[in-house]
Amino acid sequence: MTVLAGFYAQHSRLIDQIGINALLALSLSVSLQAGQLALAQAGLAGIAAYTSAIASMQYHWPLAASILLAVAASTLVAALLAYPVRKLRGIFLAIATVGFGEIVRVIVNNVNITGGAEGLSGIPNDVTTPIIYGALAFVGVALFLMSRTKFALAVALTREDEAAARGVGVDVGMVRFASLALGGAIAGLAGALYAHAFYFLAPADFGFPRMEQILVWCVIGGVTSPIGAVAGAAFLSILPEVIRALADFREVTNGIILLAVILFAPGGFAALWHTRRAPVARDA
Amino acid sequence: MKKTMLCSLAMVLAVSAALPGAAAITKGPAAGKTVKIGVIADVTGAAAVYGTMQKNAYDLATEDIKSGIIDAGGANLSFDVEDAASDGAQVVNLMQKFTTDGTTPLELGPTLSGEAFKAFPIAKAANFPVMGTSTTAEGVTAIGPTVFRDSLSESQAIPPTVAKVQAKWHAKTVAIIYGDDNAFTKTDGDLFKREFEKSGATVVDTETFHIGDKDFGASLTKISSKKPDAIAIGGLFPEATQIIEQAGKLGIKAHMLGGNGLNSTQMYQVAGPASQGVVVGAAWFIGGKYTGNLEFVKRFKAKYGNNPDQFAAQAYAAAQVVASLVRGGATTKDEMLSGLRGLRVVQTVLGPIAFDQNRDVRAAPVVLQIVKGGFAYL
Amino acid sequence: MLAQQLVNGLFLGAVYALFAVGYTLVFGVLDILNLAHAAIYMIAAFTAYSLVAHGLPLGVAFAGAVVLAGVIGIVLDRVAFAPLRRRNAGTLVPLISSIGAAIIIGAIARGIYGIDERHFVEGGIDSPPLHLGPVTFTAVEAIIFGTAIALMLILSYVLRSTTLGRSIRAVSQDRIAAALLGVNIERTISATFFIASALGGAAGILTGLEYNAVSVDMAGSIELKGLAVIILGGMGSITGAVIGGFVIGAVETLAVAYGLSAWRDALTFGVMFLILVARPAGIFGARALRNA
Repeated sequence: MTVLAGFYAQHSRLIDQIGINALLALSLSVSLQAGQLALAQAGLAGIAAYTSAIASMQYHWPLAASILLAVAASTLVAALLAYPVRKLRGIFLAIATVGFGEIVRVIVNNVNITGGAEGLSGIPNDVTTPIIYGALAFVGVALFLMSRTKFALAVALTREDEAAARGVGVDVGMVRFASLALGGAIAGLAGALYAHAFYFLAPADFGFPRMEQILVWCVIGGVTSPIGAVAGAAFLSILPEVIRALADFREVTNGIILLAVILFAPGGFAALWHTRRAPVARDA
Repeated sequence: MKKTMLCSLAMVLAVSAALPGAAAITKGPAAGKTVKIGVIADVTGAAAVYGTMQKNAYDLATEDIKSGIIDAGGANLSFDVEDAASDGAQVVNLMQKFTTDGTTPLELGPTLSGEAFKAFPIAKAANFPVMGTSTTAEGVTAIGPTVFRDSLSESQAIPPTVAKVQAKWHAKTVAIIYGDDNAFTKTDGDLFKREFEKSGATVVDTETFHIGDKDFGASLTKISSKKPDAIAIGGLFPEATQIIEQAGKLGIKAHMLGGNGLNSTQMYQVAGPASQGVVVGAAWFIGGKYTGNLEFVKRFKAKYGNNPDQFAAQAYAAAQVVASLVRGGATTKDEMLSGLRGLRVVQTVLGPIAFDQNRDVRAAPVVLQIVKGGFAYL
Repeated sequence: MLAQQLVNGLFLGAVYALFAVGYTLVFGVLDILNLAHAAIYMIAAFTAYSLVAHGLPLGVAFAGAVVLAGVIGIVLDRVAFAPLRRRNAGTLVPLISSIGAAIIIGAIARGIYGIDERHFVEGGIDSPPLHLGPVTFTAVEAIIFGTAIALMLILSYVLRSTTLGRSIRAVSQDRIAAALLGVNIERTISATFFIASALGGAAGILTGLEYNAVSVDMAGSIELKGLAVIILGGMGSITGAVIGGFVIGAVETLAVAYGLSAWRDALTFGVMFLILVARPAGIFGARALRNA
């Protein structure tokens, strides 16, 4: 038992990181399962993180309330974002959402209340490992229950063949909107927990490099599989610590692993995307 | 018999005292013990330019301890530099490792202020001594009573620098250009504005840039149209060199100055003749005649092929401070902590180091000017 | 002052355009967003620096590094994209593959050159300023601008008037039909990557010369901006990429001129976002590659 306690004392930060990264990966996975390459999760998590931090620090809201507020904020923004991008597909949706993320980063950097480039420090450190994993379990169970509904079928069908889905009466617009909003909510939860677990926020924490990281977790883990997303996040969070001995070669190892998975890992990706010439489908 | 022994002993002592490099290695209470100090630095990643300088300084320090140039009281003192890859998560994990696995009694670094805000609270919670050597943002040492810093903060460096240049230039109008996406450079910008206004000058234009920007044509054109007497640069040397060089190309004739971030020999190597006359408010002068400084610069250049910069000097100075603690017998974290708290003065390559009641280094900046091929006192 | 700012924007935009042209060419032909394009931009700059450091005259170093960049592009395709084509893997997968390749190229560059900034000429390139009315610029800047324009004109000629150009346009329009008509698809794709990467590499070398600075983090600054450029101009449109480059150069410069420099990036991406929402095909539309 003391061995476990000792291990925890030495690695609790890493364990917390894995939990939050798993949530971020799930938030992207939800969008990817609907066939949408919506890369807004890092920005949405950032909005939630700052909202929760400011609520706790300036307005002294208790933890649970500030988390709820943060999740509401990120979900709202995700819902608002869903409207202008509703017609975008594939790479175009990806680029639009990356642009959104950059705009969020610039706003956070320039506005006083977020502390700007100096960042926000001294956030109450009241999120513990049980809370993080409790949240992860909650989201996991919720997603599992949702996967048993007809809605999940609609989601899968939208991913596989949008035209066919429309043909059988699936409200594709609703599916896309719901997946984006749900992704926003989960990302928001991750962001709020991040703020209180790591008590310091900087605008760069939620920019494009972070988004790229989340994408890589999902891809390595398996794009359409939520469990895969969690596994990918866990694996790649631990990896830098484990290969620390490789010193200068750590970075190239990351790239090699990524390429190796892409080139040699079996299916799962092939089903996701159509090779359409004009990905910008102008549907009514 | 006794007389010749005394004579030879006296001669040996006299000779060893006269030789600068081969200072007598005293035998302190920790003689023979092995002490490894954990260091967190960004050797790879975005901040690698700075972290590599730090690592090189620590490696040199480890060598110098072995050869006796740094006196650690006979203890086997070395510095174990771990790479955080400019990744906040890794900084945190490394800090947790150092504060819990018992392999080190004190931690040095990390490289960036933002990283320090993430990691130092862990040290505070563990009552573990840490020292920042490059984390100069506001509020770093305020994180906890075990956090020390040997690098001059911006708020210590900028005000005396502005006062000194105003005494010389009497600038009535000033333009400020600073990086708005980095805590260090943003602090510089704010401080320059405050201090110049205090001196009676008017800030006629404020421009911002991002880390990594190369093109300052637009900002400089705008500044030029306002014709300021002086331009204050809140930035690090990669951007500062471009700003200065492009200002020269546009024919801007204003006086220019900057803070710690410009303290690098790259300034005149890259910006060329345009950099002549630029004033830098720094924490270290490469030509400063502090104890062992000139020799340190020579040894660093011989080992690595390039001159050390301020990041290297501050890291090496931290190593010297730790060595003096070990010389006094400190080998555990509590001994290190009380050693730091009770520290009087240590002679380092930065000059004499002592800590004030906020655990910041008690020092004044050196105000330098770039002249033909180097730095000189203003 | 406005005239000077416009000239600033023009020079900035020319290099953005040159970079974007390679980006958009690959997308137009293959539907792939090659995120390793910026890494090739960076490593070409380092190659040119190395060649100059070894005593080669600048023109030769430029040509050599550009050719090497093209070759790296072909290798990139063979390693990271061609296997996926055979698997019919869609568009997300090659994107991730290109991220992996970008990481590896970056790591190699760092391994060879370290993290320090390298300079073509220590002490600054000696290029006295020229004055044209209210406008000031240096001879080096003018040459860089001219080179960028010339390269883009050459590309336009190749696409419009050569057999290779026709093959490229055919493959971008309809790969199956092109194959049926006898076009060697894989060879055309390799040629596309060669051209695109060579141009991207040229942009990197010119950028390195403009600021007399080459560093590994060059890639990071330009990769997202390149996206904004090609969206604005229309993915797959060469003309669009050129116009987009100048527009973004102008947006950035004018943002600074009017006191909004802190919001520069937000403006650039805001413009990009608006285009995507209002007219995703960009100014010249996705069909424009046909008409080069």
